[in-house]
Amino acid sequence: MRSTQTSVTFPLSAIKPLDQLLTYRAYCVARTRQACGGSVKRRERCPADGVRLESFGDVEGLTYARCPQDGSLWLAALPEPVLWADLLARVSRYRHSSSAFHAELTQSRTDHVYAPKLEWIQDTLRLQQMGHPAVLEAVSPPSSFTSLLKDSGLCSTVVTVDEMALAHSPGRSAAAQRVQAAVLLESLDRVDDPEALLRGVDERLAPGGLLFVTALVSSGFDVATLGLQNRYLYPPDRTNCLSLQGLSALIAKMGFVLLEVSTPGVLDLEVVQAHLQQDPDMAVSVFERQLVEAGEETRMAFQTFLQERGLSSFARVVGRKPG
Amino acid sequence: MRCLIVGYGYMGKIRYDVLRRHPAVQQIAIVDPEVAASSADLKGVLLHPGQPIPWEQADAVFICTPNHVTAELCAEALRRVGRVFCEKPPGRNWEDFSRIAEAAAAIPNHTLVFGFNHRLHPAIQSAKALVGSGGLGDILYLKGTYGKSGGLRFRENWRANAEMAGGGILLDQGIHMLDLFHLFLGPLSVADAVLVDAFWNCGLEDNAFVLMRSERGVPAFLHSSATLWKHTFRLEIGCRDGYLMATGLLSQTGSYGREQLVVGKRQFEDEALALGNPREEIIHFDRDDSWEKEVNEFLLAAQGGRPTTHGTLEDARHAMQLVRDVYAVTGRQAMMARPGASALGIPRLPRWQPLQRPS
Repeated sequence: MRSTQTSVTFPLSAIKPLDQLLTYRAYCVARTRQACGGSVKRRERCPADGVRLESFGDVEGLTYARCPQDGSLWLAALPEPVLWADLLARVSRYRHSSSAFHAELTQSRTDHVYAPKLEWIQDTLRLQQMGHPAVLEAVSPPSSFTSLLKDSGLCSTVVTVDEMALAHSPGRSAAAQRVQAAVLLESLDRVDDPEALLRGVDERLAPGGLLFVTALVSSGFDVATLGLQNRYLYPPDRTNCLSLQGLSALIAKMGFVLLEVSTPGVLDLEVVQAHLQQDPDMAVSVFERQLVEAGEETRMAFQTFLQERGLSSFARVVGRKPG
Repeated sequence: MRCLIVGYGYMGKIRYDVLRRHPAVQQIAIVDPEVAASSADLKGVLLHPGQPIPWEQADAVFICTPNHVTAELCAEALRRVGRVFCEKPPGRNWEDFSRIAEAAAAIPNHTLVFGFNHRLHPAIQSAKALVGSGGLGDILYLKGTYGKSGGLRFRENWRANAEMAGGGILLDQGIHMLDLFHLFLGPLSVADAVLVDAFWNCGLEDNAFVLMRSERGVPAFLHSSATLWKHTFRLEIGCRDGYLMATGLLSQTGSYGREQLVVGKRQFEDEALALGNPREEIIHFDRDDSWEKEVNEFLLAAQGGRPTTHGTLEDARHAMQLVRDVYAVTGRQAMMARPGASALGIPRLPRWQPLQRPS
């Protein structure tokens, strides 16, 4: 298995500035409350390792549970899948509208969010000596990544599939075209049943096929430091915030062989710093405050350390379906 | 398969560990004149100290002996069994290698693999996938450093005995890097070399500096050393569109550091800030399955008669040609014969004798 670190740097403002995020976040939270307003089902056990979840706390009145074994965070109660699918679709459309901050940062996000992911997929395909695979992207459409994938020339075809449909219509999915690679960009963070989504992906993947997953992980520095104070932790985008251990365990449990588990994030310290600038009284330890306020060299060295040791909050995982 | 390991030293033990976990292996026999049945914790393993080698009980043979008996045993194993895995180096010198090659040529449908496992290390395999059409473009140069510190008992080891080893650090460890150069560049020729016996005074080179070029003129430079007090493995690969640096080795002791591959992509067009300091990715690897891979490939080839792709006779020939040419260019014989070399506590010959033929 391999892990990767990177020397790429860019500011938080280039992809998800905290001040602009808050409006989008408020929309997401309001729509989630609406979706969860009726009948909901509580999540009792951690999908990654089966351990009984314990209560962790609320984000804007929405309760998160925590796995005591691996530290993964789960939105504690969810409505019927059809309602959740509708929520994800609405949020995705909003994200791609002119009302969300993403619209102003389209080029910057392409350069700093999507292009590196494309390069990661390209390099991995080369390392695995897989040329021009048929690729499935699981997402709640629309997706900014689909056109990039298509234009890259990396793939023979790109099939964009609704992530909730893939999770909840396994029969229909099994009858569809087999692919050699599947891409789940933060998809496991959003869907109501990550285990079912991985099962759906597995059905579509040919033996030997590759699974690409990115996720925000609770074991990373900024999420671990800020906990539920972290403004980047909200449903439905972060309905599930697995730890790196939990994410790896879940993917392995679904039968994938792990080829890469990395946390090449570059923004952990800056995320904490942005929160402290917005709320100077936020509860963080003296040591954490020292780190965040340290000189550029110290901050960069620490971020490199987080990457190298799997302790950043941005995770990448590559799995291979056996066979 | 019934496997026979001839020689139960450092490498023999590694092969034994891999073989006992391999599903195709039903029986492992070990022959080593210095290992007594009572002293080895080898459940279910046959030991034949001092007895003729039981070739007839083997489907495949692993030659893991000191260099001075490698060629003779390898050639005999080819004749008697036909399926042989031989540790590097393939003999002490070009003459030893030629004996193996002649034996192989006389045995149709033989399987012969040499233990150049570094090719199968994850950092090297990843580097191989990224050069050329893998994205980084043609190779401009290679630079390799591979060395160890020797250790307190270095002089007592057979590797420090010129008669047994046949060569110094270049033949012992540097040959791995020569094989990697061949993997990336194809056949190479020696442009120049300097060998010194600077510290250990065993009459064998403890440092080798070798400059080579490929048939396309790509330069390659090797520093092979037995005086790198910090164990080092570093292979730098400069390409038209970027560079790679493989460092560290997932060895048993971990003394070479964490195995990793730095991947840098050339950036200078319209990117003034990145000039000379491009973005890099560092890939870390946590598992070395090179031992399993090469043994598995050998056993599959031995079972199915299909050709092997790594550690072939041709790979061994290229590596040994370079070693031969370096020793020729540097007049190594003169260095080995220098006064005092024989009075430096060079060890007795272990009891490995030339081949014991069955009566």
